[in-house]
Amino acid sequence: MTGSPATRFLWLLPAAASILLFWPGIRCWFQQDDFAWLALGQGVESTSDLLRALFQPMAQGTIRPISERAFFMGYFALFGLDALPFRITVFLTFLVDLWLVFRLGLRLTDSLAAATLAVLLWGVNSSLGMPLAWTSSYNQILCAATLLGALCLFTRFADTGRRGCLAGCWIVFLLGFGVLELNVVFPALAAAFALLYAPQVLRHTIPMFAVSGLYAVVHRMVAPRVRTGPYAMHVDPVSLVETLKAYWIRAFGAYEIELLPVAPFFHSLGPWVLAAGTASLALFVLWRLWQRNPRVLFGLAWFLVVLGPVLPLRDHLSLYYLSIPTIGLAWLAAWATHAAFQRHIVIGLAASLLLAGYTATSGLVARSVVNYNLARSRQVRNLVLGAEQARHLHPGKTILIQGIASDLYWAGVNDNPFRLLNLRDVFLVPGSEEQIDPHPELGDPTDHILPAAQTLEALRKGTAVVYSFQHDRLRNITKRYTAIAPSSLGTGLSRRVLTGSSHFSSQLGEGWYQPEGHFRWMAKHAVVYLAGPDRSGQVLRIEGFCPQAQIEAGPVQLSVRANGIVLPTLRLDQPNERFLHDLPLPASLLNEPRLKVELELDRVTTPDGRPLGMPISSLSVR
Amino acid sequence: MRRLIPVLLAAALLAAPACKRSKKARVETVEEDNQQLLTVINTGDPRASVQLLKGFHEIETDGWRWTKGAFSVTLRTPPNAARTGARLEFRFTLPDAVLGKTGPITLKAKIAGVELDPQTYPQAGEQVYQRDIPGTSLPSDAVTVDFELSKFLAAGQVELRELGVIASTVGLLQK
Repeated sequence: MTGSPATRFLWLLPAAASILLFWPGIRCWFQQDDFAWLALGQGVESTSDLLRALFQPMAQGTIRPISERAFFMGYFALFGLDALPFRITVFLTFLVDLWLVFRLGLRLTDSLAAATLAVLLWGVNSSLGMPLAWTSSYNQILCAATLLGALCLFTRFADTGRRGCLAGCWIVFLLGFGVLELNVVFPALAAAFALLYAPQVLRHTIPMFAVSGLYAVVHRMVAPRVRTGPYAMHVDPVSLVETLKAYWIRAFGAYEIELLPVAPFFHSLGPWVLAAGTASLALFVLWRLWQRNPRVLFGLAWFLVVLGPVLPLRDHLSLYYLSIPTIGLAWLAAWATHAAFQRHIVIGLAASLLLAGYTATSGLVARSVVNYNLARSRQVRNLVLGAEQARHLHPGKTILIQGIASDLYWAGVNDNPFRLLNLRDVFLVPGSEEQIDPHPELGDPTDHILPAAQTLEALRKGTAVVYSFQHDRLRNITKRYTAIAPSSLGTGLSRRVLTGSSHFSSQLGEGWYQPEGHFRWMAKHAVVYLAGPDRSGQVLRIEGFCPQAQIEAGPVQLSVRANGIVLPTLRLDQPNERFLHDLPLPASLLNEPRLKVELELDRVTTPDGRPLGMPISSLSVR
Repeated sequence: MRRLIPVLLAAALLAAPACKRSKKARVETVEEDNQQLLTVINTGDPRASVQLLKGFHEIETDGWRWTKGAFSVTLRTPPNAARTGARLEFRFTLPDAVLGKTGPITLKAKIAGVELDPQTYPQAGEQVYQRDIPGTSLPSDAVTVDFELSKFLAAGQVELRELGVIASTVGLLQK
């Protein structure tokens, strides 16, 4: 089956082609969610903090302690914002994936040529573009390794009967739960292999199903159920079939190739590859079934089983969700091509032509995805490290940034990368929101914009410098900006107050102590002035932190009034947790230029003689 | 174990970049020395973006910007403008794609709060809006000009952005 020892190296040829295709990905910097994961370790001061950071469900209820939490926290502690070690780790894992695709391909197809070809077909699939360019999607690459690794060990156990292989399979399977929730499907993959290749080991998959079932129950209990938005689940059959169809179209790698600036020939090639590829795979499967060889179903089973958990996410189609399922199609297509050559040289050449078309179109799309992410992440790097340089040049001054386009904002500002360099008081200039496309599900740009009145005041006092992001560099434009600011910026109250920032002290009334970090303690009674809502349906948002000491005697009630109107009372009872509450504002407050917001606690503590209420970080009308 | 040899070899090759690299990337800012406002703005010049107060989209690849239905710029007044006045000149393109949907478009402008005569553009193509500004409207070093189009493409009508005209240059010319 494997031939001479030299054939052990054969897979390295397609693997090298794949690595070369995605090579720009190794130079990518961080972007988007990366910053949230990198910052995870900043709040860790005790073992319980660490456990919470590692295992508390986050971001749509995900719990991925190995591929996200420990990976980002550990590497950030070791390498800081140096992205290369992260990227090398991703690529090394990908290399292991390719090797495992080869090893399993050998076992499944019993053909060295097919196994080698499978490495190439999967290794150029465009769905790998994002996982190999964006560190936050490392979970896909690592999950591929655990699923493939566990299955590889299971096949070894089936072939040799060695209990060590089964034990190894179990270890990798269990570790896989710390990588990606998708690991839950492994028993189905193992069972599919057992059914088609080694029925004698089928019974060994039963305990695995039990473990996966238990995991699914526990996960459902601890992770919040998402009922609205793009992560809401839709399990009606029509929706599932439509989503499956959409993923099938994308699986052939050339999706949206018409958007690329390449020869029109390639634009028209994509649909041909999809149509001919679908027909060819269907014919091959039917032919093998007619020959009573059901093993051909394994590749399809892999595709459907691994894709299954994301099919209910009708409104969140992501190309990278295909990165693991397409392994099954790669095995199937490689096997089909090998069989075509065995049948007749002409059929084999026709199949090769089809694969060449797939490799070219998918490769073009894959490369464009990686290049796009490289360029974008480099922009983010220049912005973030540029801000650090600006702080070095202007210590103690607020840094205002102008010229941030929408894409750069969502990639490099929304997740506040500046906190990773301890850069406080970095804001966008007022009016920046005009350039930023709204994505309420991701965040509110106004959180990162210094309001007009505060900007004017800082410029007047000389406590701010203004930079414009041009040609991927920050350029100091303080003088020019200061010249136009008075005529272009309003002076009314802001709709948002960050209590910890000195810029907002003019909007704080009585009842506040000196700022401490991002917070400011309120006394029993405290007052804030805000601009009123400018459209109906807006709320008053109150954000703060609830220390355990403040609620040792029981929950604390926080009553709120706006211009004398009583708003719903808040109950603060979660110890050592941040809180965020939205209180509906009555229509009568619409367009009020000055809103007097009064906060009143029913109880305070006096640890140092001062009456301490609650640390508040921000109040805003939104 | 022998099967792992190729993987380890390839891994060593992949990890090589880590051994021959410089220290952490450093990004220098540009501390500009010439920070005067511009009297004439080319909208494709990123340095001018600070003077495009509102209503302009990002720079397109060919070096121009789409406007929205209303847009404003701040311009430095030319030397002696307070005495001699100046000429406001706005060069733009009215695309067929817009005009075909909106019909003739009227452009209104206001400088330092004083309204200027509007002009209607019935045809597509390159256009210019020129008005003489008296010195009394240009008393300071910088002045804000507000433009407003009578018709434009609302967000979602053709694309997600609100689209007005394609702005090339806007400036105050010495008389």
